[in-house]
Amino acid sequence: MMTTKVHGNHGDFAIEAKGLRKRFKTGRTFIEVLKGVDFDARHGDLTMVMGPSGSGKSTLIAALSGLLRPEEGRVDALDVDDLWKLSSGRIDKFRLDHCGFIFQGFNLFPALTALQQVETVLKFQGLSDGDAKKRAKAALEEVGLGPRLHMRPSSLSGGEKQRVAIARALAKDPKILFADEPTSALDGENGQIVIKLLRRAASEHGAAVICVTHDPRLEAWADRIIKIEDGVIIDDRRHVPDPNAVLASHH
Amino acid sequence: MSLALATLLYEWRRYMAAVMALALSGLLVMAMTGLFIGIGRGFTAQIDRAGADVMVLAPGAKALGNGPSGVPRRFIPLVYRHPEVVQVRALSGWGGQFQSIKEYDPTESAAERAKRGAPRQEQVQISVIDTAPGAVTIPTDYSDELVNALRQPYTVAVDETALRRLGVKLGDKALLNGNTVTVAAVTRGYPNMMVAQIVVSRDTLRMIGGPNDSSLRVGPLMVKLRDPTRAPIVAAQLNEMGGGQYRAWTRGELAQANEASMFEEGILVVIIGGCVVLGTIIGVAITWQTLRGAIMANIKEFASLRALGVGMGSLRRIIMELSFWVGIVGVLAAVLLTWLVSILALAGAVIIAITPGMLIVVGGGLILIAMLSGMLSLGVLKNSQPADLLR
Ligand SMILES: Nc1ncnc2c1ncn2[C@@H]1O[C@H](COP(=O)(O)OP(=O)(O)OP(=O)(O)O)[C@@H](O)[C@H]1O
Ligand SMILES: [Mg+2]
Repeated sequence: MMTTKVHGNHGDFAIEAKGLRKRFKTGRTFIEVLKGVDFDARHGDLTMVMGPSGSGKSTLIAALSGLLRPEEGRVDALDVDDLWKLSSGRIDKFRLDHCGFIFQGFNLFPALTALQQVETVLKFQGLSDGDAKKRAKAALEEVGLGPRLHMRPSSLSGGEKQRVAIARALAKDPKILFADEPTSALDGENGQIVIKLLRRAASEHGAAVICVTHDPRLEAWADRIIKIEDGVIIDDRRHVPDPNAVLASHH
Repeated sequence: MSLALATLLYEWRRYMAAVMALALSGLLVMAMTGLFIGIGRGFTAQIDRAGADVMVLAPGAKALGNGPSGVPRRFIPLVYRHPEVVQVRALSGWGGQFQSIKEYDPTESAAERAKRGAPRQEQVQISVIDTAPGAVTIPTDYSDELVNALRQPYTVAVDETALRRLGVKLGDKALLNGNTVTVAAVTRGYPNMMVAQIVVSRDTLRMIGGPNDSSLRVGPLMVKLRDPTRAPIVAAQLNEMGGGQYRAWTRGELAQANEASMFEEGILVVIIGGCVVLGTIIGVAITWQTLRGAIMANIKEFASLRALGVGMGSLRRIIMELSFWVGIVGVLAAVLLTWLVSILALAGAVIIAITPGMLIVVGGGLILIAMLSGMLSLGVLKNSQPADLLR
């Protein structure tokens, strides 16, 4: 169990966005990928964002997290009013302090052991070497990688690599955790481990977990399911998570 | 361990090209400089091992040898006036033509001889010693046998590194300026890449027609003192006595000035400068491209750090640290390579001197080159767009 505090009160808004519009230029024409999206997510919720390919899910996350500036709209996150008004340095700092990311790819440095991957980020947060090591170890143990601390990515399985990436994101004790297709490169068993870890980050650490996926089977673990199509939110409903759900790949 | 160092160690193959480029740049500069210093040392060897405590040269001259470093003969009694001086002798030298007479047929033309691969006529530099016991012109490392051998008329001593060039060995006969001489001794440690050096006694020099003792100008003066430890003081006093007509040096002073004067030669500066420029260009180009490739290979990992809030400045620092370590490894490789080359060169009687000053300057330069390459490759970091990881 990590020695972290629980963020906010379950149910408080962690992030709120209004009227997000994002256009991309393709050739001579613009395509509008986000067409005035209003979005919010709460502490303690595993918020699932679903929709067909190309509907703008990843773009939405990028705009919410300060990675891709929208043409219109505003994002209020935690105690920051209008994230996009901040300088890019301040946005980086905001992410460093409060945000975790999990991507479809694992993006681990080939040269670093599991422990070093996690430590590196913590040291950038300003932790001392000793504290970074302690926290990194705890995070890796929480994702079940206690016995793999000193292995490099080349000797870890795909599922284990994703768990290192999750530990790297969770070790920072983020208030907001973004995940973009975190299970799509994994088989059912590993996918289940990962979604359960995200579930736990929300329930036990009170993080606002925003998880993009196109896998409908993950819905079982969600507190809230938002459907997006063609840059517009078409459905937003609450859901009672089933902690005992099973994600089987074969059968 | 830092991310940069861990990456360099783990993916060392990727960085080999950069390390080798730095090593070769370093080798180029160090070998060239070392070669010149080695040549210079050959000249200074004469100074270092001279039997004189003080040497008197023409003002401005910084090397032993005839011509510009010589002084008027009347300075000999002048120097003797100093009460602590016990012996003054002029160093003499002369140019000569040396011909091995092995398989030598005087009726044959030079072209025919060359065709047979017989030893050619060689230009040599003749230096002269006095064979009287305790003579100041005898270098300190000459053995008594060597001096005794040269005391015989028509004998010469040849440095071991020049034997092959001159086509002779110990005991051989040869023609020196048309006189038959015998190679009666072999010296050690007087390599000269430009022109072979042979040693004769003052008597032999006269017998083969060299400059006699009546000339108005003589070579630099070799001065022996009663108390060698007082050389700096006596040299200063001699300089005061001379009032600028000559310059008296202690052995150490002259050796230092001689080494330094090598690098006042324009051509050396041009050659070494050229090597530095070439080495820098090669080093920067290859190290830059290697670092670029290495960053691109890890660009997604860098992007994920950016997503987690690690700023661009921190990533730049990682790259600069990486370049620094590449530079350090490059310096080590350069030193190792230069050392190996100098050992090989020594086997061929070529001295490549590696001095601590050279190591510091070249080492620092290589690290600078690596850091500069790192700076140039910082540009590719802008490809670490975390938004690209979200697709
Ligand atoms: N940098 C870009 N330049 C141009 N077009 C882009 C860019 N990024 C995204 N798009 C376009 O925006 C649309 C939405 O992309 P986005 O990545 O948000 O979709 P998604 O919902 O995440 O899809 P998927 O489920 O396939 O990941 C797509 O049509 C895509 O081609
Ligand atoms: Mg996507």
